[in-house]
Amino acid sequence: MTGALEVRGLSAGVDGKEILDGLDLVVSFGEVHALMGPNGSGKSTLCHVLTGKAGYRVSGQASLEGEDLLALEVDQRSRLGLLQSFQYPTEVRGVSLRDFMIEAAEERGLSEGEALSRIETEAARFDMTRFLDRSLNNDLSGGEKKRSEIFQIAVLRPRMALLDEIDSGLDIDAVKQVARAVEEMRAPDLGVLMITHYNRILRYVTPDRIHVMIDGRIVDSGGAELAEELEAGGYKAIRERLGLIETSSEPARRPADFFTDTPFDVK
Amino acid sequence: MTAFDQQYLSQITTSTTPAWRRSQMEGAYRVFTALDEPTGAEEDWRYVEFDHTFAELEPVAQAGAPLESGPFVASLPERSGHVLIVDGQVLEHHSDVATVLRLNDLDADPGFPALVPVDHNKLTAAHAAFSTDGVSVEVTPGTVMDTPLVVEVQGSIPGTVSFPHLRVRVGEDAEASVLVAYRSADGARLLMVPKIDLEVGDGGRLRFLSVQGIDHAATSVVHQRATLGRDSTSRIGEIGLGGRLGRLDLGVSLVGDGSSSEVVGLYFGEGDQTLDYRMVIDHQGRSTTSDVFLKGAVEDDAQSVFTGLLRIEKDAARTSTFETNRNLVLSENAKAHSVPNLEILCNDVICGHASSVGPLESEHLYYLRSRGLTLERAERLLIRGFFQEVIDRLPIGGLEEPVSQEVFRRFITAQAEGRVA
Repeated sequence: MTGALEVRGLSAGVDGKEILDGLDLVVSFGEVHALMGPNGSGKSTLCHVLTGKAGYRVSGQASLEGEDLLALEVDQRSRLGLLQSFQYPTEVRGVSLRDFMIEAAEERGLSEGEALSRIETEAARFDMTRFLDRSLNNDLSGGEKKRSEIFQIAVLRPRMALLDEIDSGLDIDAVKQVARAVEEMRAPDLGVLMITHYNRILRYVTPDRIHVMIDGRIVDSGGAELAEELEAGGYKAIRERLGLIETSSEPARRPADFFTDTPFDVK
Repeated sequence: MTAFDQQYLSQITTSTTPAWRRSQMEGAYRVFTALDEPTGAEEDWRYVEFDHTFAELEPVAQAGAPLESGPFVASLPERSGHVLIVDGQVLEHHSDVATVLRLNDLDADPGFPALVPVDHNKLTAAHAAFSTDGVSVEVTPGTVMDTPLVVEVQGSIPGTVSFPHLRVRVGEDAEASVLVAYRSADGARLLMVPKIDLEVGDGGRLRFLSVQGIDHAATSVVHQRATLGRDSTSRIGEIGLGGRLGRLDLGVSLVGDGSSSEVVGLYFGEGDQTLDYRMVIDHQGRSTTSDVFLKGAVEDDAQSVFTGLLRIEKDAARTSTFETNRNLVLSENAKAHSVPNLEILCNDVICGHASSVGPLESEHLYYLRSRGLTLERAERLLIRGFFQEVIDRLPIGGLEEPVSQEVFRRFITAQAEGRVA
């Protein structure tokens, strides 16, 4: 299928542990989808595997506009049009957000002038102007980091945006702001997959389709009624309706190294 | 071949040399003969191979022709004076602001304490015994040097050892700005043993930057000491690029209450270079603050060494001190040693250190690449960013561009030739 992100039978594991278990998912350009699931269901792993993070054993298929994603390097996937907003964007001292965006835009064939003007425009729109000349993600609040991620997507204009836990750790005003940004991103040539643990952001964004992910698979897909069911009874209600047995409640392994300034600190 | 012996010593102590100076040199000579060249077994020479012996080196008879200034000095927009020391001999010295005196005048002033002990090692003893020339920069109380005095220290004659000597005295409430640029002749295997004494009076401010850009065939062992008076400030910068062995042995003594010291530096080793930093920050007065911030990279077979001791003396209450040393190891055979240390004899202090050794961080590379930057481009951006933090803090402005370019050039050349992993 063209004009879509298409995932078929995607399985992935790390350290001998299976996380994704034959996942199927199609997100067409022009649509906003929400992927919901409890902690440990594999939502972030799906993002990482699609983006191309090293360290996962991966099988199955994933394509963007018919191009095989899994055969490509991280940066090739990005230039093809896949862009993830990170749950924990890493801090990079000494590299300014502006310089980073100029380089990334140049990789997409923009001239420096075009890049700069787009950066200015989008920074004004997402209230990021004062962060442009600061070190990347350094000393940003949780909400500012999410905004920075969305700003980057706006500058780089992907075909498919993966928004990993775009609302986690945010107060309600920040959630509303992020939701507004997601609604503003809607465009005929852009697909959005919004990954979230909580349904509260769905009060402010209306996705075209909602998917529920449990134990590494999409167990149900639907419209607004799924969000209502979750709101009322949580994942437990969905499990019961589908006859799914609760397995290990062990939370997902968090990539703790995202937090550290440097993993080699001797203190 | 002239040897560093008694006969040579007699030759350089002339009839006009004051008696006290002669006896100082003879005393130092005895220490010199009693000590051996560093072998690497000594604690403060660990990891380092010092591959010169005085037996195979000659003193300088006559200074060679000055070398070109090089890109760093050339890029400085303004200067307030110029000192040129070639092969240990002072060829030029003038300043619009400070009083610049030549050695023989130093001889007349035994009041200035030797900040590096003569018996620190064989090289400091050699310096005390054989150094016969040098420059003293005096900034009188209340005087402010807006633009830097440029001190070029050069080595030009293969097979020689030279003993350049510079001291800077910043008077009360005065401000000095000094740039020292080290260079040596292309391909010349020689040894430079500069001695730098920095004395900052009460309320004085010193900005001092050295750019060590000697040829990769040469060795430089700099002994640099600073002593700080009450409420004085010293900002010392170091850019380490050159030398088969480039070593800086730095001591900062915060003697006066309320004094503060900042040491920032960057180094980038390539080929088979060793860049070696030994620092002791000694807090003696009360309410003193210090910060050491050093970042370096090594590629090919190069290695770097950082040992940094923060010593807080018994009476140094309300000391605040920190040191940071970050190292990027870019090739499989490159090595970085980083050994921060604390010696705390007083309990009313805030102190800490951070040290790291490793490759470019994979999380950083992943993040940058996820935005479409190729691996090579992401690496280049990270290298720039890594050093930018130091470049932003250099105590003397105007050198940002050539420093950044040189560091970057080393990396991209190695990257293009596949020498970095």
